[in-house]
Amino acid sequence: MIRKITYAVLLTMIFTVCATAQYKIFGTISDKNGNPLLGAIITVKELPTLGTTTNEQGYYTVNLPEYKTYTLIASYIGFLEKKQMVSKHHNGPYNFMLTENDLMLDQVVVTGTRTPKLLKEVPIVTRVISESDIKRVDATHIGDLLQTELPGIEFSYAMNQQTALNMTGFGGNSVLFLTDGERLAGETLDNIDYSRLNMNNVQRIEIVKGASSSLYGSNAVGGVINVISKESEEPWAININARYSAHNEQRYGGTFSFNTGRFSSTTNVQRTSIDAIDLSQGAKDDKIGDYKKIYGNSTFNIKERLIFKPTENLKFTGRLGYFFRERNASESQTDHFRSFTGGLKGNYNINKRNDIEVSYLFDQYDKSDYLVGDKLDVRDYSNVQHTLRTLYNHTFLDKQILTIGGDYMRDYLMSYQFKDGGSYVQYTADAFAQLDWNPNKKINIIAGLRFDYFSESKLKHLSPKIGLMYKLGKCSLRGSYAKGFRAPTLKEMYMNFFMANIFMIYGNPNLKPESSHNFSLSGEYIKDNHNITITGFYNIVENRITTVWNKALAGQVYTNMSKLQVAGIDANASGRYPCGISWRLSYAYTYENIKKGQAILSSTRPHTATVRLAYDREWKNYGLSLSLSGRFLSKVTTDIYTKSTSYEETEKQTYPGYTMWKLNLTQRIKRGLNLTLSVDNLFNYRPDYYYKNSPSTTGTTCSIGVSVDIDKMLNKK
Amino acid sequence: MTLHKKIHTYIWGAIALLLLPACNGILGGIYDEPLPKEKKEFGFIQINDKAKTGRIYIDATDYKQWHYIDLHQKQVVSAAVEDKAPADWDFAIHRYDAKTNNGTVAECDATDFNSLPAIKSLPENAFIPDEWSKNRIIIDLSKMMEGIVVRKDDYYNPCLSKWLHVDTSTMPPIYTPSGKIYILRIKDGSYAAIRLKNYMNDAAVKGFMTIDYLYPVQL
Repeated sequence: MIRKITYAVLLTMIFTVCATAQYKIFGTISDKNGNPLLGAIITVKELPTLGTTTNEQGYYTVNLPEYKTYTLIASYIGFLEKKQMVSKHHNGPYNFMLTENDLMLDQVVVTGTRTPKLLKEVPIVTRVISESDIKRVDATHIGDLLQTELPGIEFSYAMNQQTALNMTGFGGNSVLFLTDGERLAGETLDNIDYSRLNMNNVQRIEIVKGASSSLYGSNAVGGVINVISKESEEPWAININARYSAHNEQRYGGTFSFNTGRFSSTTNVQRTSIDAIDLSQGAKDDKIGDYKKIYGNSTFNIKERLIFKPTENLKFTGRLGYFFRERNASESQTDHFRSFTGGLKGNYNINKRNDIEVSYLFDQYDKSDYLVGDKLDVRDYSNVQHTLRTLYNHTFLDKQILTIGGDYMRDYLMSYQFKDGGSYVQYTADAFAQLDWNPNKKINIIAGLRFDYFSESKLKHLSPKIGLMYKLGKCSLRGSYAKGFRAPTLKEMYMNFFMANIFMIYGNPNLKPESSHNFSLSGEYIKDNHNITITGFYNIVENRITTVWNKALAGQVYTNMSKLQVAGIDANASGRYPCGISWRLSYAYTYENIKKGQAILSSTRPHTATVRLAYDREWKNYGLSLSLSGRFLSKVTTDIYTKSTSYEETEKQTYPGYTMWKLNLTQRIKRGLNLTLSVDNLFNYRPDYYYKNSPSTTGTTCSIGVSVDIDKMLNKK
Repeated sequence: MTLHKKIHTYIWGAIALLLLPACNGILGGIYDEPLPKEKKEFGFIQINDKAKTGRIYIDATDYKQWHYIDLHQKQVVSAAVEDKAPADWDFAIHRYDAKTNNGTVAECDATDFNSLPAIKSLPENAFIPDEWSKNRIIIDLSKMMEGIVVRKDDYYNPCLSKWLHVDTSTMPPIYTPSGKIYILRIKDGSYAAIRLKNYMNDAAVKGFMTIDYLYPVQL
């Protein structure tokens, strides 16, 4: 009897469906550049059981049961969902163009753990600057970008107009910069050459603040900034771009890539130049600032990356690069900086649970003086690093990951700052292990330990780390303790330099490593399209290395400072709405406690903030991206010593605060053709006096840029 | 080719690549080598008797020395700032400072010896004599960090010293060579044309003076 009733019900249902009028709708789902999204989901709000996914061309069809008005919802991981009303009177396709979700919680990140993890699941607070953020800022190199996007970061001038970084109280040599996980050779006054990190063809930048020496070793005291290059996915792609701005600033770039499945290649070229900036602007007053003119400079950068996948589980990545920078320091002499990079990396997925990576990298950074009159280019600095790396990941008990790795590096340094322009070599070796333990869905614990050895200083150093993440509904709480360290460099150990024919600077082979104990506590709240993160951190920094005047030697000697503390708060809130409006507000508070009598006293600005309000909208033949970004830096009053040779008498010095705004409009006027107009320093800020940490602006400037994706222009789909 | 053989090929390929770059870097050949110290010549390093031109190269890095140049005998004699000058000399340099032996100097716009103006066309008041300067010549910077700069009173030619302008109001100082030719009227009535070619050596160390001259200048 029951069986008969069941048949009857089924027959009735079939009859009902047949009797109901059906109609078919179709369309495509693509990203804002028109690239089809495979596997995007289409659902119907009023019929929750009905849904389908797109094919390789981003195409979908849905059979709707009756002539009625429905709401179609298109969604795809990492993108904001979009809705469209379906009307029975409309016969054409229903196409969707989805925009990336800038909250990027589905973004995969690698820097915090050295294994790919979703941003929302990584137990170490990681900030990501996405490709679309980079485009909005229209930055040439990483300094422009980081200052616009992150509070607590300030690039200023050190002696001789060399760039110096301060990231929440940590200088350039305490923040580790990586490109695709690899270090960069060379430094000037403790800072790498930031212009080597151009923003052309960058997919994202991952920033992990706080100590990370348990994974990265020396220099990862204040944080790690990892620039991740874009991998080509299209069969072929060509982008050329140009930008022109005030002070005859020019930027030209080109990227050519192809991908045959087994082989893929990306070639990227960039050329930039800017004239000298006269800060006096015709004024005769000698009290313009610590400097009156910003040197003009030009750069040329070419990078090639070749990927070969002989089998599904094996991948080789080859890298080659050349960089050149010229700084017009005077009429008679220009400064030349060059780097040569080459590397090979192999990744082998042994099986689902085990993978291994082996890599070799060569990086050389040279400095030379070019004598214009004599046409002589004489090298006086060369840093050559050969690095061998291995990294092994083992996944067990479903989600537990054990990471084991080891590195070996040969570090050669020839410098005019050594006696008779001599050279030194140092070997470093390390081994590390990390356990990423997920006892349940709510808790993630990460524990790591690394051992480093440095041959010249005979330094043996252990760096532990422990981190915990606890998920509670829409909240994630993270807490960590990590030790960071920085080994004394060859420069700091062996310098023997007659500074400007005035006084000697001596190295110190007995230096202790700089180290930090980093405690961090953070809370993250995510709801719908909003994200709020607040992080508090506290660092105890021991043995920071700096130069100290030595009366007996009548010169400076590299010396370890006594203990100091750096504490602060990082707050970040952002929102993004389907209508295209998005915003982000970031604030950082930094407190440095350095005792009087130390060679260097704190000059970190306590309050800094960045803000961005943006509107993005895409239509079939036109796209618009409008953003207003602001940067606020508070004033700072600091003590400076009245004499360079004693650390007793001080006087107060105030560096004024300032606010800078930038308006950026990018329009897609044709498929693959983008036009960017920017107004920088919108409210015409000019410092009364140019201190080393004042922005080198002469007022409001405008720029115009064009970017052409030739492949997209030719692709009529 | 089996997978094993393939992997072997790749590993050997990788090792070959590894060995390619030299341990201490590559492409050193793109740079110019500075002259070895022992081969560096100072004094009148080039003399062209026919054209009456030549080049003088002086290590003027020492703040405590004057270098006396004798265009007649083609020689350079160095002496401590407190010592007496040699018997015969025409002009002298100390770092970038210059003085003359009872001579006068006129600046002209020419930058090339072939385009020198006729000496007679230069007005008499264009020729500037030396002046006694109080506390101008720096002779000791070793205690500069303690705020002590030792100076000395000495003669100084304000016109010839214009060959290099050093702006010390910013750090590092801005060096601007004039590139111009200076006409030196020597006390015997003869004339020399002098041009500062460079103030650095080939390793960009400042204080190494390369001076081109034409002597005597035809009237």
